[in-house]
Formats: sequence, structure tokens, C-alpha cells
Amino acid sequence: MKALALVLRLGLGGLLIVAGALKLRAPVAFATELANYQLLPALAPYVAALLPVVELVVGGALVVAPRAWRRAAALGALALLAAFTVAVGSAFFRGINIDCGCFGTGGGPITGLTLARNVVLMAAAAAIVAFEDRARA
Amino acid sequence: MFATLVGRALCLLLAGSARGLAVNAARPGGVRFTKFAPPNTCGAGAAAAAAGAAPVEVLPPAVAASLCGDAQTLLADVRSADEFAEGHVTGAIHLPCASSGSAASAAVDRLAGRRTLVVYGDGTADAQIVAEELRRRAGRPDLHVLVIEGGFAAWSRAGLACSSGPCPECGMPHEHK
Repeated sequence: MKALALVLRLGLGGLLIVAGALKLRAPVAFATELANYQLLPALAPYVAALLPVVELVVGGALVVAPRAWRRAAALGALALLAAFTVAVGSAFFRGINIDCGCFGTGGGPITGLTLARNVVLMAAAAAIVAFEDRARA
Repeated sequence: MFATLVGRALCLLLAGSARGLAVNAARPGGVRFTKFAPPNTCGAGAAAAAAGAAPVEVLPPAVAASLCGDAQTLLADVRSADEFAEGHVTGAIHLPCASSGSAASAAVDRLAGRRTLVVYGDGTADAQIVAEELRRRAGRPDLHVLVIEGGFAAWSRAGLACSSGPCPECGMPHEHK
């Protein structure tokens, strides 16, 4: 289980770092992608400013943080991914044809595959929370 | 133990948020909260064009008129509400450039089962922007997107069919400027 947790932790951490870095390149375009979701569009610029760095911090913590913080980072990643899944699912089931914005601009349209990928990533984050060594603080 | 875990997770999220705000404020290309305009029907036409997508076709009014009454065709008027109320092409929906992203999505929903979208404005250029955005949102390679050359003025000069008053079947709010 330790090996599985390590693979999942590095994989998910790396993915969040890449996603955060790509979003950070064009924050205004990312804000537009967020507003296209039609979920609280007034908050889109704020989320666009915060989210890329939050992903970098959580992803970085998953990869390099001391053991005591890794499970916390996984829990943070799980919370982020749950929010992403709600947003993507909302757009998918409302039939809104928009780009995902998952990796910044030009990430391709939202499909059932996007939703399935998010659910798999959530499962990975939950597995890290469950299997990562429970080191003392 | 669980409280510690949650506390640390919140700590990471808050630390990231604070850094995100600081980075955004410091960088020249950051999001300016008070100046950010949500997307509308003119949102990303330029981006779509830059991405190498085929441009929308421009048709003379007389040719476009041959599509009127075709159940497979949706007409969209991108002019202001006042201009639309004064007269518009029969059957056209009102979808001005300043319409919200929701209105654009509603228009895309209306395209379901149709093969052709005809857009017109005051002239050719204003309609092309909206047409590009709708084509991008629709994401359908089979959708034929056309713009009426010269816009409604050219249509009127050609003596083609018009109607007046609010669109009877638009199903979306008209935005008054």
C-alpha cells in the first residue's frame, strides 16, 4: 500500500503542479473560461487569481512536504477535485458547450470523459488520505 | 487527529489563496477584478479565428434569403434591441453582441437539430464576431455558419422579408442598451 500511495501521491502532485502552472500563464483567459461555466460568474476573476497558486501549493506539498503534511495535502487536493467535479458535472448535465479550462485555456470541451477523469482523480486523492503513513505531527 | 488533518489542509488552501492573490496583484498580466468583463456572445471570436478555424461564410442578402423558412436554419440578429424592435428578418432571434454567456448558450441549444446558422448585424463585421463565437460554442463541424453581407441595411435595400416588434419566439431576454 505504501508503494501505491507513493505512486498516487507523485502522480497527483505532478498533475496539480502542471495544471496550476498552465493556468498561471494566462489568468485573464482562465477567468473567462471559469465565467463560461455560468456558476457565480462574478467570482470568476477571484477564483482565477487564487486557484493556480493553490494547485501549485497543494501539488508541491503532495510531492515534497514532510510526511505529517502529505495527508493534509491529499485532503486539500480531494476538496479541490470535488469542487472541479461539481463544476464540470454541472456544465455537462446542463448541456453547456464550453472548454474545460482544466489545464488553462484550450483544454478541450467538457465531455463525459472529463467527468470520469475527475472522479478517478478524486478516488486517487482519497486513496492517498487513506493509505499514506499517519506520521505524528 | 482528524481535526489536525483538516486544519492542515485548510492551512495549505489558505496559504495558496493568499499567495495567489499576492502573485496576481504583483504581475502585470494578472486579473484586474474591477475591470474583468464576463464573456458574452462576442467573447472569443478572435481566439477562434486565430486558432485556424475556417472563417464563417459571407453571403449576399438575396442568397441568404433562400434559407428563410427552412426548418434547419436559425437566424440571429446581433443589433441593438431598439433596432431589432424597429424591424428584423422574419423568424430571427435577438442575440446582440452584449448578450450574456447564458443567452449565447441558449442560442446554441436552439441550434440542436439544425444545420445552418445565419447571423446578421448593422454590417458584416459585427455579425462575424458573434457568428464565430456561436460556432465555437456549438463545437459542431457540420454546422454551416453564414453572415449576411452588408447586414440588415443591405437586406432592407434588397426589399427582402422583414417583420417588426419583439421576436415572437426568441425565448431569451432582450438586452436594452
